[in-house]
Amino acid sequence: MFKNNIKIAWRSLKKQPFFTFLNIFGLAIGMAGGLLLGLYIYDDLSHDKMFVDADRIYRINADMKFGGAEERTAEVSAPMAEALVNDIPEVEMATRFRNIGSISIRLQDVMDNVREHQIAYADSTFFNMFGIQLLYGDERTALVEPNTMIMTRTAAEKHFPVDQAIGKTLIINDQEVYTVTGVIEDLPKNSIFRDKPIFLAMSGYEDAQLAEWGNHNYYTFVKLVPGTSGSDIQDEMQAMVGKYLIPYAQRFFPGITEQQFLDSGNYVNYSSIALTDIHLHSGRSPEFSTVSDIKNVYILGAIAIILLVLASVNFMNLSTAHSLKRSKEVGIRKTLGSQRSGLIGQFLTESGLIAIGSLLFAIVIASVAMPFYNNLAGKELSIPYSNPFFWLILLVAALVLGLFSGSYPAFFMSRFVAAKVLKGQGDNFIGGGRVRNALVIFQFSISVFLIMGTLTVFQQLRFIQGKDLGYGKNQVLVIGGVNTLEGKKQAFKDAVVRISQVDHATLSSNLPTPSARSSGTYLLAEDRSQEKSINMQQWEVDEDYLSTMDLSLISGRTFDLDKFATDSSAVILNEKAVAVLGKTPESVIGTQFVGGLEGGGNLSTVIGVVKNFHYETLRDEVGSLALFHGGEFASNLAIKLNGGDVAQTIAEIEGIWRDMAPTQPFDHYFMDDSFNASYEAEQRLGEIFMIFTLLSIIIACLGLLGLATFNAQKRVKEIGVRKVLGAGVGQIVYRLSVDFLKLVGLAVIIALPLGWYAMDRWLQDFSYRIDIPWWIFALSALMAVGVALVTVSYQSIKAAVVNPVKSLRNE
Amino acid sequence: MLLELNNIFKWVTTGGQRIFLLKDINLQVEQGEFISVMGPSGSGKSTLLNVIGMLDTFDEGEYNFMDESVYSLKEKHRANLYKQYIGFVFQSYHLLDDLTVQENLEMPLIYKKVKGSERKAMVADMLDRFNIVGKKDLFPAQLSGGQQQLVGVARALIANPKLILADEPTGNLNSKQGEEIMELFKQLNEEGVTIIQVTHSEKNAEYGSRIINLLDGRMV
Repeated sequence: MFKNNIKIAWRSLKKQPFFTFLNIFGLAIGMAGGLLLGLYIYDDLSHDKMFVDADRIYRINADMKFGGAEERTAEVSAPMAEALVNDIPEVEMATRFRNIGSISIRLQDVMDNVREHQIAYADSTFFNMFGIQLLYGDERTALVEPNTMIMTRTAAEKHFPVDQAIGKTLIINDQEVYTVTGVIEDLPKNSIFRDKPIFLAMSGYEDAQLAEWGNHNYYTFVKLVPGTSGSDIQDEMQAMVGKYLIPYAQRFFPGITEQQFLDSGNYVNYSSIALTDIHLHSGRSPEFSTVSDIKNVYILGAIAIILLVLASVNFMNLSTAHSLKRSKEVGIRKTLGSQRSGLIGQFLTESGLIAIGSLLFAIVIASVAMPFYNNLAGKELSIPYSNPFFWLILLVAALVLGLFSGSYPAFFMSRFVAAKVLKGQGDNFIGGGRVRNALVIFQFSISVFLIMGTLTVFQQLRFIQGKDLGYGKNQVLVIGGVNTLEGKKQAFKDAVVRISQVDHATLSSNLPTPSARSSGTYLLAEDRSQEKSINMQQWEVDEDYLSTMDLSLISGRTFDLDKFATDSSAVILNEKAVAVLGKTPESVIGTQFVGGLEGGGNLSTVIGVVKNFHYETLRDEVGSLALFHGGEFASNLAIKLNGGDVAQTIAEIEGIWRDMAPTQPFDHYFMDDSFNASYEAEQRLGEIFMIFTLLSIIIACLGLLGLATFNAQKRVKEIGVRKVLGAGVGQIVYRLSVDFLKLVGLAVIIALPLGWYAMDRWLQDFSYRIDIPWWIFALSALMAVGVALVTVSYQSIKAAVVNPVKSLRNE
Repeated sequence: MLLELNNIFKWVTTGGQRIFLLKDINLQVEQGEFISVMGPSGSGKSTLLNVIGMLDTFDEGEYNFMDESVYSLKEKHRANLYKQYIGFVFQSYHLLDDLTVQENLEMPLIYKKVKGSERKAMVADMLDRFNIVGKKDLFPAQLSGGQQQLVGVARALIANPKLILADEPTGNLNSKQGEEIMELFKQLNEEGVTIIQVTHSEKNAEYGSRIINLLDGRMV
């Protein structure tokens, strides 16, 4: 019986190639989309789960308010790790990391440097903590000694064969000498260590050895004893504020108690987050490595389900519509004694076959699309062909989808009454039209919704990229790694400024585009109480910073070392800092600060105030900022170009660089590119949105095409009669199309408010956002209607030009 | 002269062989005639009717309708011509199931772009004339076959055609209903409408003023 079912199903599918194609293609697109999104979500959800004991590893966070700034950091102070192990019995071990960004690295007797990014210092407990095996070297001794390092296989191979790595000497930034004590396999892409090529021994990093409880710069991980969780150490962790932090603060605020500290509205709250939650639930910035957000998983999951439902709906629509052609078959089978259940089985076999065919097709589509998709999603996903479990899931999912999609048509068609269908009288008995209409409305509602989403995301992106940020980022070329020039920094700058295409150039430690930051606590010289202290960004800049970055001064003046020798200890604040201090831009001039508290304190005088500019992404408000004069720690040279041949100018600058630092790589980028990169997540979301919107529209159109075909077939007689009575082609096409357009119109009415609501919620994440403009509604509606019209009109025109003699002949 | 067919040929080619549907048809129809076309199944009766009604084309010969050469007319012009002058009656009525009697009658007028108020008057007139005022809001499925065909004839007449083409108008009706329809045709003919009907029934053929017999596409 089953074999017979399959045989008949196969033949009936073969007999209707167009219909079968629509069905399989629609389902396959849905499945391929579902598969790709599923792999993405699985990858996100399994982040960091590969580490042994991952369930016992937690990271310590701190929420702080101090000096007018509230911060939620993923880092804590250097001495906390040791205190955690010593004071809390549940803590088995702790490992600290400190990100230091990019370095130049070369073999001792080789001249050319390699630029490596995302470098971190790590404690020697690193291996034990995460269960990482060394390919070469000894876990117990690697990273123990100062100036030792471990490398991933890829990083090591840039310099020497991995098996010869141990004991090799490498020079970092042309000055620090390191010995390789271990090589590890490249770290998994879906872990917090993704893209980290090199770890340096923390024991050689001076700052890490200091008992500085006030600076929060260390990503600190703890492993708890089995059977305990993060909440078990919460109280003991929080007790460290009174035990260590307050005594430390007393060095600067003599006599301060924990109560006074809290009473002034300040706080430090420690908390822990499970390692496996970091990727999706951290929400802190900066993070140890790029993280995602659970919201994206929800959004993508919703899109995956929507796609599958759309495809399934399509299937139902096409099948029931198609039943007109099969009604006679049903009738004959029934007169021949087939039970209803037998017919249902027959139809379900057919949908099962279609589902499996679609699955194969979907896998082909997915594997072809995979490289583009990875590029788009910024992941390294692959289809796990060799995993039998994957195939099992896929097969079951496809069959469930097929049976689910096939169930409605099967029950629908098996209900036909033999006597009626065999007489072939009228087509109205087939019915089901209302369900089909509802399904079409559903499909197009979703399409309109997605179109709206896509347009809004891109519009917000354009808004961000075009917003006046308070600084000029166009035509600003940045040369990184100028710290490797050492004493020749100023000479390099002077040489660059002499190029005629260069307007200004400035040496600085930080740029307004989102990048690594550093902040510190400052006291007012006139009132050294902790209530009056202020936490600010501390950037080192030179006298050309304001002109190069196009910042506007609202009071006071900029640095001018020639006229004012004291400007080496001057500072320029932004409006926000002035507001936190409770002063006006005019009255703040001349105010003196004490900074660098740990080092004993040095005095700086406010000489100017700049207008606020957006140095964080537009998701955040502008914070307090202080620009100090000094080029000592400058790591980049920003160059404002005045047009001309940019490539030529860059070549010229590179020439100067080569002369001064022949062994260092020339690292340059444009500031607006790096600005755009900080909205990569939104850009990706936008692109993913767009692609899947496109897919859902294709699916919806396939469905509509099928329905239009069916409709035209069903109304053949009517069309014939109307033509005989004098209707023109135009009138017929109008009649056939207008019903569908009504459905699409209804879908638009349903989808627009929903789309508005959802996108308004999404926009709330941005401190600076667009109002959804009216034309997005109009364009979404127009696109849906337009696409539907094109789809429907082909079939309608085809039906309308048929000679009525043909359609009316068969009596 | 209402229409004139000269040496009309129509064929289809299957397997390289020409099969003639119509072969050398010569026919003149005067205003006011009532012609019955007879012949066995497959003799080309319906094809001839379709050619006359301009629903179908022919391959060779000459067809003049009211002194216009149909062959050389553009599709649109041809449609205008039959919209204006020809009404059709079908064996299986071909009423639109989703429309009421009244709406079915109204349809040809819509396609002729008759104004709404005028349309209402003409429909009311026709309902009255055929005694089906009471049925005007019913759907075709709610009528008997005879009544449906009555509506079919009314619909064919409503645009005041010069010629009515009826393809076995009584084929689906019982004898009493059939007789009524034939009486109606006779009366219409007496009022000046030209009628060409296809029929199998000798009795029905007698209503006509002239009988044309077809065999294998040829007039005999």
